[in-house]
Amino acid sequence: MIVYRSIHHNRSMNYVGPLQELRRRELPRGGWSFSGSPQMSLETTCLATFSVLAEQPSSAPHVVRPLLNAQFSGGSWPSFIGDGEPSWTTALAICVLNSANDSSGARERGLSWLLKTNGREANWFWRWKFKLADRAVRFDPDCYGWPWISGSASWVIPTAFSIIAIKQFTACNRSDLSERRIHLGVDMLLDRVCLGGGWNSGNSVVYGVPLRAHVESTAIALLALQGEERTPVIQASLGWLKQRSSNIESVESLSWCILSLFVYQEPVEHLKARLATLVGDGHDIRNNATLATAILALKCGEMIHPFEVLR
Amino acid sequence: MNVDRRCFIGSAAGMAATTGAAARCLWPKHSVSYRRPRSLVAILNAAEYSEKTEALLMDGLQLFRFNVLGKMVLLKPNLVEDLPGPVNTNANIIGAAARCFLRLGAARVAIGEGPGHQRDTELVIQAAGLKPHLAGRQIEFVDLNRDELARVKLKANYSGLGELWLPRTVLDSDFVVSMPKVKTHHWAGVTLSMKNMFGVVPGMKYGWPKNLLHWHGIHESILDICATVPIHFVIADGITAMEGNGPLQGAARELGRIVLADDPVAADATCARLMGFDPDRIQHLSEGGRFLGNLLADRITMLAERIEGPIRPFAVIPEFHYLLARTVP
Repeated sequence: MIVYRSIHHNRSMNYVGPLQELRRRELPRGGWSFSGSPQMSLETTCLATFSVLAEQPSSAPHVVRPLLNAQFSGGSWPSFIGDGEPSWTTALAICVLNSANDSSGARERGLSWLLKTNGREANWFWRWKFKLADRAVRFDPDCYGWPWISGSASWVIPTAFSIIAIKQFTACNRSDLSERRIHLGVDMLLDRVCLGGGWNSGNSVVYGVPLRAHVESTAIALLALQGEERTPVIQASLGWLKQRSSNIESVESLSWCILSLFVYQEPVEHLKARLATLVGDGHDIRNNATLATAILALKCGEMIHPFEVLR
Repeated sequence: MNVDRRCFIGSAAGMAATTGAAARCLWPKHSVSYRRPRSLVAILNAAEYSEKTEALLMDGLQLFRFNVLGKMVLLKPNLVEDLPGPVNTNANIIGAAARCFLRLGAARVAIGEGPGHQRDTELVIQAAGLKPHLAGRQIEFVDLNRDELARVKLKANYSGLGELWLPRTVLDSDFVVSMPKVKTHHWAGVTLSMKNMFGVVPGMKYGWPKNLLHWHGIHESILDICATVPIHFVIADGITAMEGNGPLQGAARELGRIVLADDPVAADATCARLMGFDPDRIQHLSEGGRFLGNLLADRITMLAERIEGPIRPFAVIPEFHYLLARTVP
């Protein structure tokens, strides 16, 4: 069941200006770059497409076309146009196509690629290396997820988005394989949690010293863990994020904070008010991915949350 | 002479292995050499970060003969995390360097960095205190993790990567200044001007952290990147340095020095000596000394203060005890 929650809309949290600014920055052939270049970025295009779809659902066929055109025949997507390698953005693209209810078959091809893709430690040789020889970073190599690009290990953010994409797309038709990858990915996230809660890129303890969590990784990991049993680890991470949210002055981190806390039914109005002040009309935010995420955060409660998972 | 089949196959395999090993040793691993007969290094004494830093830096820069008139200058500081302590290159030094290069006639100064762990670059800039140095001046910050990219064939082949996607801002710069924080590093031993260049490798392609470089060897990747993106000048922030479990969790170490150099190997070798390390034991420095710059002290002209070793060498994690120089210079 998709949850629409009514919240009191504060008129000062106007996302119209930022959305106009984002649309003004759309590349001539569709899609968005990070900031000013003509090179379409898949991450930016996915987040911007969510923002446009949230305002104009009817624009789906037009606005997802650059994404569909960018898909490789093997089902994956690159990081940017011109790059010939598959990347983690495949998970984000599937989420967008879930939102657009795309029926072109692109999602199925993307999911098939995603289910076949592992972090490098999924290979027995590297798993044993990490178990026996390379113990500088504390983690359980049996719990693996998804890499940023082929040939690298599993990391928190690609794994979290992959879990969300698979959970969303297979909500009504989960297979043994999709269930297994979701559980393995969830186990990997829980294994990589920082002491005291929250996540960073995926190294929680190095040489016996605990490293600090990051806001964005924590928010995205929590989005992936929605619907999972509220273990003490998840509660501690949620508590860490709430506490950290009180003094974030960065648009990107604050936006992800709002998107995540909202799903966990935590109050976000005061955070949205602060975000609206930071964003203004959006003109000063050069990073289009950040601008798009901010628009989604400002619209929280007035749209179908792009990363909400059916239960 | 009768040669049976087993003997023939064994001999052929042996010859192939020998030829392969010889080719590996003899085949040049780099297609460029930036090493000059002599390199210039200036160690500036600076007890603290203050408003006087800019004047000190300007005096130091004027000891060197370089021309940035009309050029696009890229300052590449080490901005890693929004953490307290001496994790990042101090913003006062970055801002002072930017203003100095503008005063020296640079057409444009960009500060570029692509943090390796923290995806929210804005958070790092805020924590580093860099914003006031950007406001209202012709100094722009470029997030190298998200810049336009171009595919570049690497000019050395230690890592086996062959090519990398690199940011346009880096490739279009006329004068690249590496501005490291002097720190120990739990994977590489030290992080100085050469290791600092990991930050030009874009996260949008390679992720956070830039894991592919680790898989291909940290020292090897450093050599390939520095061969491909030559460092023209170094300003190393060693006023408050980091020792122990760097680059994030180490302890502050008051070194009280800024190191300037027209050669990254000479700069890093000098910093290593100041830290009480033998630069020849740092893999990327000893190999870099063959083609990226001068490692040996007798090929480095000191323009300002002499190297005086620290009263006690920098602390390192046990894995790097071998870096400690037998006699402190």
